[in-house]
Amino acid sequence: MIKVNIDGQEITLEKPMTILAAAQRAGIKIPTLCYDKQLEPFGGCRLCLVEIERVPKLMASCTVNVTDGMVVRTQTEKVKKARKAQLEFLLINHPLDCPVCDKAGECDLQDLVAQYGAHEGRFLEGKRKHPESFRDPIIVRNMERCITCTRCVRMCDGVQGAFAITVTGRGNHSFVEPFTGGEYKCEYCGNCLTVCPVGAIMSKLHRHSYRPWYVEKEIKTICGFCAVGCTLIAQTRGKDIIRTMPKHGLGINDGILCVRGRFGYDYRSGEGRITTPLIRKDSGELEPASWETAIDYAARRLADIKERHGVASIGGIGSGRCTNEDNYMLQKLIRYVIGSNNMDSSARFAFAPAQKYLERMFGQGVTANLIPGIANADGVIVFGGDPTAINPILGVQCRIARRKGAKVIVIGAPAGLKGFVDYKLEPVVGCEEVVLRAIVKGVVDKKGLSGENAYIENKIKKLMSPDDETIERVGVAVADIAKAVDNILKMKSPVVVIGPEAVHTSSASLNLFLLGVINYVLNGRIFLLSEKANYQGLLDMGCAPDVVPGGRPIELDIIEHKFQDLLGSKTPEEHGMNLYEMIDAAKNGKLKALYVMGDNPLFNYPDREHIEDAFNKIDFLIVQDISLNDTVKMADVVFPANSWLEKDGTFINLGRSLQRLRKALSMDGCWDDWKIVAEVAKKLGMKKSYESSKDVWEEIRKVSPLYRDVDYVGLDEQALTWPYMGEPIRGLEGDFKVEGLEQVLGNVAKGSDGFMGLTNPVLMLERPLFHSGSMSGMSKALLSIYGAPYFKISKTLALRYGFKEGDKVRVIMEKGEIDASAQIDVNMQDGVVYLSNIFEGVGYMGVVGYKVDAVVGSLVITNNNIVDIVRVED
Amino acid sequence: MKKVLLKNIENPDSALLTEYMRVGGYKNLKSAVKEMTPRDIIDDVKESGLRGRGGAGFPTGMKWQFASMDPKFPKYLVCNADEGEPGTFKDRPILEKNPHLLIEGMVIAAYALQCSRGYIYLRGEYPQAKVILESAIDEAYKKGFLGDDILKRHFKFNLSVYQGAGAYICGEETALIESLEGRRGQPRIKPPFPVNAGLWGRPTIVNNVETFANIPLIIEIGPKSYAAIGNTACPGPKLFSVSGCVKRPGVYELPMGTTLKEIVYEHCGGLVDGRTLKGIIPGGLSTPILTPDKIDCAMDFVNLPKAGSQLGSGAVMVFDDSVCLVKVYERAMKFFEHESCGKCTPCREGTGWMRNILGRIECGRATAEDVDTLIDVANNISGATFCPLGDGAAGVVLAFVNNYRDEIDYHIKYKKCC
Repeated sequence: MIKVNIDGQEITLEKPMTILAAAQRAGIKIPTLCYDKQLEPFGGCRLCLVEIERVPKLMASCTVNVTDGMVVRTQTEKVKKARKAQLEFLLINHPLDCPVCDKAGECDLQDLVAQYGAHEGRFLEGKRKHPESFRDPIIVRNMERCITCTRCVRMCDGVQGAFAITVTGRGNHSFVEPFTGGEYKCEYCGNCLTVCPVGAIMSKLHRHSYRPWYVEKEIKTICGFCAVGCTLIAQTRGKDIIRTMPKHGLGINDGILCVRGRFGYDYRSGEGRITTPLIRKDSGELEPASWETAIDYAARRLADIKERHGVASIGGIGSGRCTNEDNYMLQKLIRYVIGSNNMDSSARFAFAPAQKYLERMFGQGVTANLIPGIANADGVIVFGGDPTAINPILGVQCRIARRKGAKVIVIGAPAGLKGFVDYKLEPVVGCEEVVLRAIVKGVVDKKGLSGENAYIENKIKKLMSPDDETIERVGVAVADIAKAVDNILKMKSPVVVIGPEAVHTSSASLNLFLLGVINYVLNGRIFLLSEKANYQGLLDMGCAPDVVPGGRPIELDIIEHKFQDLLGSKTPEEHGMNLYEMIDAAKNGKLKALYVMGDNPLFNYPDREHIEDAFNKIDFLIVQDISLNDTVKMADVVFPANSWLEKDGTFINLGRSLQRLRKALSMDGCWDDWKIVAEVAKKLGMKKSYESSKDVWEEIRKVSPLYRDVDYVGLDEQALTWPYMGEPIRGLEGDFKVEGLEQVLGNVAKGSDGFMGLTNPVLMLERPLFHSGSMSGMSKALLSIYGAPYFKISKTLALRYGFKEGDKVRVIMEKGEIDASAQIDVNMQDGVVYLSNIFEGVGYMGVVGYKVDAVVGSLVITNNNIVDIVRVED
Repeated sequence: MKKVLLKNIENPDSALLTEYMRVGGYKNLKSAVKEMTPRDIIDDVKESGLRGRGGAGFPTGMKWQFASMDPKFPKYLVCNADEGEPGTFKDRPILEKNPHLLIEGMVIAAYALQCSRGYIYLRGEYPQAKVILESAIDEAYKKGFLGDDILKRHFKFNLSVYQGAGAYICGEETALIESLEGRRGQPRIKPPFPVNAGLWGRPTIVNNVETFANIPLIIEIGPKSYAAIGNTACPGPKLFSVSGCVKRPGVYELPMGTTLKEIVYEHCGGLVDGRTLKGIIPGGLSTPILTPDKIDCAMDFVNLPKAGSQLGSGAVMVFDDSVCLVKVYERAMKFFEHESCGKCTPCREGTGWMRNILGRIECGRATAEDVDTLIDVANNISGATFCPLGDGAAGVVLAFVNNYRDEIDYHIKYKKCC
C-alpha cells in the first residue's frame, strides 16, 4: 500500500504509479501536453510540473512515481507560474494562426492558454519559419505549429509500429518529419494526427471545410472495412460526414484506427453510388423504378420461378459487408419463405471452410478470442497472409506483442511485420507448407504429445518431415527452422494467425491441420483473418446451406422444428447448394433465380468467363448493392442499399465479438438491406413485419438460444464475445481428414498449382492495406493513396521481361490478359507477380481459375501461371 | 607535484604502448588483476574519495557499487569522451597523448565491474584523437591488455571507439547512451539510472576520461595516499584547462583545491600587463561566472559552490577588462540555443529567447524592461528543464545579470560597450 497526499487529499494506491496517474485517479486535474495514456511517458512539455514536499525542484508528474508518504501540491503559486511560463515558451514559436487552423476549438494548447494564462506575449522577435507540406495525399503538416511533444512519433514507433516519422533538427528547429524529409509514404493510419494536440499534423480531407464546433452529432459505430470491428466515432453535420475518429478507451482498437477506418469514410459519396431501384426493361436497359414497382416485380418473378422450376432453382448470396440482421433476413427469405437451402456467400472461399475445419478439430468457438489479447501473447505465429494489411489493427496488436517481448514468426513474406521478425522464413511462394511441416514436426518431436485428442495425435504420428535438402531447396535456411522450433517451444500463450492464403492452395487441409497442431500442442489461440467485416456474422445467421441461425447445423434443426413454431415454416430438408454448386447449377441451367445481396460475384469471384457464363444463364437476377458494379450491370432488378455508415444493426468480428453498428447518417433513396429483403418476403407471403433492425434482432434472439439474453440495450454497453452468455450447441467434433500428411511436396508432384520448378512466375493476389475491396474503391481519400492498379514485380523479373518501373505492361494468362503499370519491389521474390482485386476491369480474380479443395472445401486458385509479360506502348 | 595524468606528455611518442610501458604503464592493471578481487578495487575507489571529473562530481566508488550490486548481465562500461563544454579541453591531452592511461583505467574498471564490453564515446570534433585511440586500442589488443583473455586471467573485455555526431547534449550520460544505441541524442527519464538500466537496458557505468585516468593511480598508491592529495573532501589530481586573457593558457595538472589565484597568476603567468581582471568562469561555460573578489576560492567540488559557482569540468575562462561580457554571454547563449536538443519546452524555447534579448542588449536595441524579462525567462527555465543543459544556461545568465548589472545597464543606456 502506498499512501500519498495530493493537494491535501489522501490517496491510497495498491501499486506504484506516476504522480499524474494518482492525481487523475483522485480526480485532480494536472494539465499536460506531451502525455498520452496510450504512449510511453516523455516528460518534455513540462506542463505537468508539481511541487513535492522536501524536493527543491518542481518535478514532472508524468515521469515521477509516487512513494509512500509523498506530499504533492499541484496548485501552488510556484506551480502556476511554471505552467504559465511553459505556455508562454510554447507560444514563442507557435504561430497564432488559430483563425485559419482546423484544430482551433479542439486544440489542447489553445485550451490550456485560455485556462492558465500567458495571454500577453513578451517575445519580440520573429517566429521560426518552416514551409507547410502538402506532399502527402491525405496528410498536411504544418511544422510551425509543432510543439515537439512527440506524441505522433511515439504513436508511430511505439503503437502503430510503422517507424515512419522522427524528430529532425534540434532545439527550436526540431520538426517532425519522415526520415527522408519528403513524403511520409507510410501506412497512413492517421494515428499521428489523432494524437497531435495542436494543428501540426492534419487531415487534408476536410481541410478548411469545417470547425470542430460544426459537429452536430457524434455516433459511436463499428467500422465496416474489415473484420476487426474497430469502434469509431462518426462526426456528422446534416447529411454530411465530417470525419471518423477513434477514441482511447473505446472498443477493440482503443484509440487507434487504420487508414481505411480513419480516412475511408468518403466511400459513401463516391462515384457510382446508386440511389434508386432499377429494373431491366424489355429494351435490355436498366431503368429507374419506384421501390413499390421494383419490389413487386422481384416478388412476382421469384414466385413465378418457384412455381415453374421448384424451390431448388432459387438461391441467395449473403454479404460479409452487411449486418447480421440483413443476412438473417435474406436467409429467412430463401429458406423459410421460399423454402430452399441454397444459401451461401463468399465466406465459402476461405473463412467459412477454414473455420469449420478448425472447429472439427477443436470444437465450436475455437476462433472466439479477443483481439486486444494478442498484445499480451508471448508468441505470434502468422501463416497465409499479412495481418497488418488484411486486418490492420490485429496486425498492430502483433507488433505490440513483439514490443512486449513476444517472438513473431511469419511463414511467408513478412510484409508489414518486416522488422518485427528475427529471421526470415520466406520459402518460394506455394511451398510454405514445407516450412510449416518442418517446424511443426520439430516442435512435436521435442515437446511430445499429451494424449488428449487421439484424432489429432494419430495424424501427427503419420506426419513426415521434409529433409534438409528440400528445405534449402524451397529457399529457407535449416538453421532458421531450428530457431523457429526453439522459439515456439518457449511460447506459453501463443497466438496463431491464419490468413486466407493458407486455404487457397491444394494443401489447405494440411496447412490448417499443422497450424491446428501448433495450437493443440501449445494451447494457443487462433485468429482467422477475414477481409469482410461480417463473415462470422453471416455464417452465424445461417447464410450457408448447412447452418441455420445461431450457427446450428441444419440436421439438428430439422429434428427440433423450432422454426416451424416460431416462423410458421420449417427448415427445408432438401440439401442446399453451396456457392460453387450454385454457380455450376446456374451454368447448367438448373438455378433460375439468384438473389445477390452486397456482393459482386462477377468481379470478386475467380474465373470471370465461367461466372459470366453462369450469370448469363440465370433467368432472374436480383442484386442489392451500394454501387453500380459489374454484377449490378447484369441484374434484372437492382435495389440500392444503405452502407455500413448508414444503418443500424450488429456485426460479429473475426474473434466472434458481437458489436452494435449504429446509423450515422442517411442516404437519400437507399434502404437497409434487411428492409428490402423483408418487403420482398412480405409480397411472397411472409406475415411478420418489422419496424427496425431491432425487431429483426428480437426475432433472431427468439430463434436462436445463443443470443437469448442479448439485446440492443445490452450491446450499447459493451461488445459480447461468443457464446454471448447464451447456449452454444456442440458442433460436429470428431475425426477429420487431412491430405498429404506423409507426402512432402505432394502438391508439386501434381504439377498444376505447385510452383516450384516452374520457369514462369505465378500471379498472386495482393491484399493491400489501402483497400479492402469494392467499398474502399469508392473512397477518394483511399484512391488518392492507391488510385490505380499495378503489377508488383521483382527487379529481376522486370529485367528479364525488359521493362522498368512505371511502364505499362500486359500480363498474359491462360484465361485472359490484363494491362496495368509495373511497380518494382526490391524485397520481392522472383517467382511471383502481385495484382490486386480492387479496380474493376483490372482485377486478379477475373483471370485465374479455381477448383474446390476436396477436404476443406475452400477455393483453390488455379491457372495462375503467367504465360508471358509484354510491355505495351501507350 | 609529480604529474600523473599528463605523465610523459613531453615525449612526442607518449601515445605509443612501448613508451607508456617504459614509464610503468599497465603495471597497475597487472597488479589489480592479479592481486585484487573486483570487490577490493571498488572498495579502494570508494575509499579514495574520487569524484567524477565530468562535471557533476558524483562519487565514483558509489556509482561503481550501485552497478556492481545490479544482478543483470552483461554490464557495459562507457567512457564519456564527448568533451563539448566550451572552454574545456582537459581530456584531449589524455586522449591524444596518453591514451593507454585511459585504456588501463578502463580495463581495471571493467575488471572491477565485470564488464565484458566497453565503448569510448568520443566527440565528433576530435578526429585526431580517434586515430590515436584506435591505434592504442589495437596495440593493447596485441599485447593482451584487451581481448577475450586479458593477461591470461580468463577475463574478457572488448573496447571500441564510437564517434559522436557533434551534439553537446550527448555529453549527458543518458543522451550519450541513446546516441550509442543509434538513436537521436536526447536525455532519458531517470530513474532508472544507467547503472541499473543503461545501454540496451543493461547496467551501464558511464565515467569521464579523466575519472578513468585516475584509477591506475589509486591502484598504484593506494586509496589512503590518494585521499591525501589536495582537498580531502574531493581529493586527487585535477586537470584544469585554462583559456582566455592569461599569458600561458593551457592544461595544468594540479591537486584538487588549488586556488584560482594560484592557477591564474602562478601557473598561467597572470594577465597581460596593464589589464585588470573582470571575471572568471571556473568550470566551463555552463558554470556561473565569478567576480574578481572570488579569486582566492579553492577549485574543488566543495568550495566553488560556496562561492556561487561550480567546478564543472575545471575549464577556467579568464576575462580581463578588454572583454565585453554581454558579447560573451550572447555568444554563450547562441551555443546553448544551438545545442538544446529540443526535448523540453523551457530549454528549447527559452535559450533562444535569452539569446535574442542578450543580442538586443549587445546591439543597443534593448530597454530596461528587457533585463527584467531576461531575468524572468531565466528564472522560468531554472528548475523546470528535463536535464541540466537548460538549467545551466539559465544559471549562467542569472549569475551574469546579478554580478554585472552595471555593464548591462551601460549597454542599454549608451548603446555601446563600456
